[in-house]
Amino acid sequence: MTTEEVISKLGLNSLSKFEHREVVGVFVSDMLSDVMAGAKSGNLWVTVQTHKSIIPAANLVDVSAVIITGGKKVPQETIDLATQHDIAILVTELPTFELVGKLYALGVVTQ
Amino acid sequence: MSDCQHQWAMVHLRFGFMVYERCSHCNSLRTHFSEEDVWDEYREGDCTYMVVENAQTFVFDLACTKCNHVEKYDNLMGLLYCTGCLPDCKVEILRQEYAAKRIFLLVAFGHVPETQTNRISQEKLDILTEHFNQRRDTSRSTVKIVPFNLIDKLSVCRGEFIHDVGMLSLEPPEERKPLL
Repeated sequence: MTTEEVISKLGLNSLSKFEHREVVGVFVSDMLSDVMAGAKSGNLWVTVQTHKSIIPAANLVDVSAVIITGGKKVPQETIDLATQHDIAILVTELPTFELVGKLYALGVVTQ
Repeated sequence: MSDCQHQWAMVHLRFGFMVYERCSHCNSLRTHFSEEDVWDEYREGDCTYMVVENAQTFVFDLACTKCNHVEKYDNLMGLLYCTGCLPDCKVEILRQEYAAKRIFLLVAFGHVPETQTNRISQEKLDILTEHFNQRRDTSRSTVKIVPFNLIDKLSVCRGEFIHDVGMLSLEPPEERKPLL
């Protein structure tokens, strides 16, 4: 599955400019340290964090997209930094639990 | 010298806090890792150290999954990303140069003040770089980790560490002041 398919199937909104890519599993965490330690290349990172520091962390471990849940407002500087690094910032009004359930139902599971 | 084509993995992970302390007498800064959320003020000689920042983070070593060689990172305080605050800074110049080649630049810091005299070796930084590149799709971009001494003016650097600052606050984090 690709980021394009995930966006389309879950009705996510894209905030940054990026190239679509293959999605490999999901990583759920609101801590940068957790992501640096455990996320894998291609993972969708699901979080409520919106600070610009999520972008270097996402880039370091090469996630396929950052999905920000709960309708959180994302600062423009976070979006700009994401575009600069070709990182997908996707947002949804759904809470994390519901989004993760929908991802699981789509067959996007951590490998 | 080993001829193993190392495949690095993080081992000995410990989650905790990066504690930044400043002396109210001489203004010197020191950092250390603690598994506990400490905010205690203490005296040491003429100095009185108070915690100025307590960021959640983790420490780790790297081990080769093929030959079991372990590379220790006891003194790695954190990875900082350049925010381009000083256009003439060597790190900013390098960052722009690397960005054109789709290389993502990060700056490795050791603990203060030890790191100023006992820097993390280039070999260790290269291994750290290799580890993060092994974890990513390098056809898209790569990572390069450089030493902090490339930063021209540490005292005014507004680069930001990839640490979890203010995790317990519901308010958006304020712009951080230079810590060093």
